[in-house]
Amino acid sequence: MTTADRQASRDVVKHSARHEGPQKHIIVFIFSIILTAIAFAAVAAGGVNPAFTVILLLAMAVLQVFVQMGYWMHLKDRGHMMPILFMVGGFFIAGTAIVMALYWVWW
Amino acid sequence: MSATHADGALPQEPEKATLEGRNKVLGFWLFLGGEAVLFGTLFATFLALRNQTNEGPTANELFHLPMTAAATLILLVSSLTSVFAVQALHRHKVAALRVWLMVTVLLGLGFLGLEIYEFADYVTAEKFGMTTSAFSSSFYTLVGFHGAHVAFGVLWISVIIGQLFKKGLTVVTAPKVYVSAMYWHFIDVVWVFIFTVVYLLGKVG
Amino acid sequence: MAHAHSVKRHKGLMDWLTTVDHKKIAILYLLAGGLFFGIGGIEAILIRLQLIKPMNDFVSAQTFNELITMHGTTMIFLGVMPVIFALMNAVIPLQIGARDVAFPFLNSLGFWTFLFGGLLLNLSWIMGGAPDAGWTAYTPLSTHTYSTTHGVDFYTVGLQIAGLGTLIGGINFLATIITMRAPGMSFMRMPMFTWTSFITSAMILFAFPAVTVGLVLLSFDRILGANFFEVANGGNPVLWQHIFWIFGHPEVYILILPAFGVISEVIPTFSRKRLFGYSSMVFATILIAFLGFMVWAHHMFTTGLGPVANALFSIATMLIAVPTGIKIFNWLFTMWGGQIRFTSPNLFAIGFIPTFVMGGVTGVMLASAPADYQFHDTYFVVAHFHYVIVGALVSGILAGLHYWWPKMFGRMLNETLGKLSFWFFIIGFHLTFFVQHFLGLMGMQRRVFTYLPNQNFDTLNLISTIGAITMGIGVIFFLINAIVTATKPKGVANDPWEDGRTLEWAIPSPPPEYNFKQIPLVRGIDAYWKEKMAGNKEMTPAEPIGPIHMPSPTILPFVMSVGIFIAGLGFMFSKESFSNSFMSLIFNNWIVVIIGLVITFGSMLLRSLYDDHGWHIEVEELEEEGVKA
Repeated sequence: MTTADRQASRDVVKHSARHEGPQKHIIVFIFSIILTAIAFAAVAAGGVNPAFTVILLLAMAVLQVFVQMGYWMHLKDRGHMMPILFMVGGFFIAGTAIVMALYWVWW
Repeated sequence: MSATHADGALPQEPEKATLEGRNKVLGFWLFLGGEAVLFGTLFATFLALRNQTNEGPTANELFHLPMTAAATLILLVSSLTSVFAVQALHRHKVAALRVWLMVTVLLGLGFLGLEIYEFADYVTAEKFGMTTSAFSSSFYTLVGFHGAHVAFGVLWISVIIGQLFKKGLTVVTAPKVYVSAMYWHFIDVVWVFIFTVVYLLGKVG
Repeated sequence: MAHAHSVKRHKGLMDWLTTVDHKKIAILYLLAGGLFFGIGGIEAILIRLQLIKPMNDFVSAQTFNELITMHGTTMIFLGVMPVIFALMNAVIPLQIGARDVAFPFLNSLGFWTFLFGGLLLNLSWIMGGAPDAGWTAYTPLSTHTYSTTHGVDFYTVGLQIAGLGTLIGGINFLATIITMRAPGMSFMRMPMFTWTSFITSAMILFAFPAVTVGLVLLSFDRILGANFFEVANGGNPVLWQHIFWIFGHPEVYILILPAFGVISEVIPTFSRKRLFGYSSMVFATILIAFLGFMVWAHHMFTTGLGPVANALFSIATMLIAVPTGIKIFNWLFTMWGGQIRFTSPNLFAIGFIPTFVMGGVTGVMLASAPADYQFHDTYFVVAHFHYVIVGALVSGILAGLHYWWPKMFGRMLNETLGKLSFWFFIIGFHLTFFVQHFLGLMGMQRRVFTYLPNQNFDTLNLISTIGAITMGIGVIFFLINAIVTATKPKGVANDPWEDGRTLEWAIPSPPPEYNFKQIPLVRGIDAYWKEKMAGNKEMTPAEPIGPIHMPSPTILPFVMSVGIFIAGLGFMFSKESFSNSFMSLIFNNWIVVIIGLVITFGSMLLRSLYDDHGWHIEVEELEEEGVKA
């Protein structure tokens, strides 16, 4: 039994106490659909201030990703510290690359 | 320790019952961290080159929102069906698990069909190929990498369905299901950014 | 146990091709790394021979370009990386008290993928010319327009394949360190080498995907006619520089951090003191890794990013001196008041410190953007990065190899030869590169294949070449040492240096297949030392003796890598016009690519379909061997 073994077996005990239904995931799905619909509608409607649209679209996308990764990929559950750490790391480096592309490629 | 569960009753979360299973799930998370950088760099490339149309078609001229919306809906629903698959896994309902995975695969195929149709339309009708402009190269590379991930996912999940028929649900097959579901969600997450950054922002200009 | 699977145990060559044992994979990494290190070293000597005198015509300008490109690429990706992986494979599972790595199959796959990527890259020498656009392959020099041979294709495809192997290895070590630690081995009790390897693996995970994308883009430009870097069609060459260095700068920290780890193991052992400032060492390592990702544009000060960007990257770069300084002082304070023994590993470790400080100081000089306009692309830069990558990093690697050699092979290296190789290496190194600072300041450009006489370059270049040969002699002494030692009988003690502090010294040298008969209980930092000080001869076990589960050997990783290799070759030559109609049939119709991918994915399928139940070493067998755990 390694340290991780014992940690995980504790997790299993914790989890088995909980019987999750599909409701939560359907709510996440509906929420995602709404966020997506807002984004598409904002673009389809046109006429909205472009700068505002950009911020709105990005906010919808980030929110949707947060919710899906939290619930569907179980990142909000116990025992996910390492996954969160490495996903945050990956997204951070990805963000660095995007800042590079937006500000330091053309001048 | 790992072998004891294999013959007896399955634990609540069979994907995490063995050290191998837990390692697999953790290792796959690490891999997804690397994938985030991979797609981040592809997004960066696309963002840097999105206006370099070389007198070819622009994003605004090319993209049709209804098609993107359809593809988005398909992938979102498939992400939900793979959640249901994992729930069936936790309830040890192998039949339901197989059905949900099959639905996921079919939706994935539908998404791929739409994407192939879209690319073919761009190449033939719009004269928008890989070599047209820097914008076209970065568009096809980013969206194509995502499409290749979907295609690999479809093949992978199909193989797992086959194993579920042959071997049933065990502490060996369960982590495979769980990990493929993680992969599928991640593909959906990437698509959220693709439809936002490539298609919708492309329309906004 | 319920399962008694019989497993075929291979012998000879098949044993090595199919092994999933981290200790054997370590030796494979060492052999492959040694091979490529030798190739890169010969290239270095040829470069120095060409520059020994002005207007030399020892090699042509084209060959010189190929030599410098392949020297850099080979040394960084195929020389030192695998030797570091060799040390990590050999030591980490032992240091954390584990029987194996988290993914033995992936471990093997990572090695074979790396090896076939490296072989593909080096095939370029006999298949129409090596890459010649520098190890950084800057566009537009490396694009189709200016580089019409297949050289750069070998670079893009070979490095993608080798990089995939490195990435797989990185993920394996991360998972191993996270999940396989023995009871009591908390993160803050891990030996420093394990810590630095952990951070290095995390950097590999985040840096290598970026270069993979860069290489994909470049190969799409060259082979599929894409326009990422083609200015005429809207592309941007600066994008390549950014993507390359977003990977490339972390890469140099990926290389040096494990060397820091080695030094942090060797110095306490031979000072008979615990490492000074363990927590600050951990913190400094993490900080260096973070800052390492934030400074890539300091390679591009002269590109014209503007004063704001240059200032930001300047400051961020100088900041790295702080955690690095912490490390230097910690090593010095560890030695302070210790009972220092000047064994050959310790000589390399002590030689590391001043050499690295010198490389670090020139690094801070280069970090100043205005000054960099003067230094850029001169021999000053060459001197700087060789101080950190050769003087420091290779010293660190040699320290580690001398230190862990008895653990890996069960035989002590000869101390006299070890000391000879140290003195030749360090004197040769400083002769070669110290003078290059001044060559650079006097205006000698890097990457020039020759120079005119009477510019004050002549003597310094001669000294530099003599130094390079001296350094080469030092490496040859090490090789002789390795060969001589291999002929001696095995049988060193568990703890041959007698002052071992960490878990690897608690088990036999070399360790049995399963490493620990019983997983040890860890009761503090320097777990083995702690037990020794408490008067115990061995570690307290954390479990009763029981059958040990082992993974089965498999040829699939090797086959998968062959498949990727074939697919890579097929992709490179897909647009080639062949005179032979059969060749054009199979290459131009992507048939070779498809065959390669079928081999690879077919092997993956086989791996997935047939469960590997592994096999067990039974209790009786463990007791028969009479091994002290």
